[in-house]
Amino acid sequence: MKVALFSDIHANLPALEAFFEDVEKKNPDSMYCLGDLVGYNIWANEVVNEIRKRKTPTIAGNYDFGIGRMSNDCGCAYKTDEEKDNGKISISFTNSIMKDEERAYLRTLPAHIKVEFQLNEDKLNLLLVHGSPRKINEYLFEDREEKSMLRIMEKADADILCFGHTHKPYHRILNSGIDGQNHFRHAINIGSVGKPKDNDVRGGYVMLTINEDSSVLVKDSISVEFIRFDYDIEKAAKAVEESPLPDEYAENLRRGY
Amino acid sequence: MEFPNDLIYSKEHTWIKLQDNIGTIGITAFAQKELGEIVYTDLPNVGYSFQQDEVCGSVEAVKTVSQLFMLVSGNIIETNKQLLKEPTLINSAHFGDGWLIKIEIKELTELENLLRSTQYKKLKN
Repeated sequence: MKVALFSDIHANLPALEAFFEDVEKKNPDSMYCLGDLVGYNIWANEVVNEIRKRKTPTIAGNYDFGIGRMSNDCGCAYKTDEEKDNGKISISFTNSIMKDEERAYLRTLPAHIKVEFQLNEDKLNLLLVHGSPRKINEYLFEDREEKSMLRIMEKADADILCFGHTHKPYHRILNSGIDGQNHFRHAINIGSVGKPKDNDVRGGYVMLTINEDSSVLVKDSISVEFIRFDYDIEKAAKAVEESPLPDEYAENLRRGY
Repeated sequence: MEFPNDLIYSKEHTWIKLQDNIGTIGITAFAQKELGEIVYTDLPNVGYSFQQDEVCGSVEAVKTVSQLFMLVSGNIIETNKQLLKEPTLINSAHFGDGWLIKIEIKELTELENLLRSTQYKKLKN
């Protein structure tokens, strides 16, 4: 079972189109979107409609949650006053362009998707969230203490936890087994299609492969492939510069930050 | 921002309130603002003891995780169980119901290494 996972498109239509072109060639068995369809770029409605058209199971990101409610707060953790000011422009702009039907779609997106595999004697639970199981806007960075990450995954009964939100992809394997019995759990940040922040300007997504022998007992029994694809960055960056959005967002696309 | 005079502060943005040799510990207004919405507190078990500056727990917020350093050497005598249900009490009542732990202080002289309200306020301005 090949499962394609993508998120954090952030209204970047050229990136989303390039993603679909790339992923369709790889022929996954299923595909899920982990949210944050809108914000920071100009094509909020178009991105929503491309995803709706394909009937892709999708969960809400924090930006979708805010725009769905016509809120002026996206729940983002901006560090500087400049980032905060730019963030206000972005959410105000996105609210101003969002059409009713597309906003209603964002408003009704589910928070989580849980997929239970029954392959062996053990269950294998795949949980899809945007930030973390407990908060839509929690940042689970790669350096999160193992104890904390395991607690979050155990509480959510997630053997494979996939999430986005930080725009920085990684895969960590943690063992929560006791008394010599292994129980491997996978924490997978799937990166970002339309606003990567890991200094790689290309869009990114994950192909997760579950086999008939995949199990929590065997460390490497699932495969996680981080895929990067090129897209027309200049088209997206220039569109930002020609819009009311801050020019910094165009520069971020060109720098992969 | 508040800097209550009856509290003693650390450079790590925690506070301790004294009643004889018992200290109630929490995080400051500045710390909770920097952290944002608190989602979990990892607090030590009652009965454990810690030295001054030793890591004794952590506070998890949506933005990041912050370790808690013990302000003065002491034994844990109580933790705030209400925080398990309502961690955002730390955001809304950081100098009151959002306290974290109570300790029996071993070395009162170590309090001299900490900051008074005016000193902590200067550190923040």
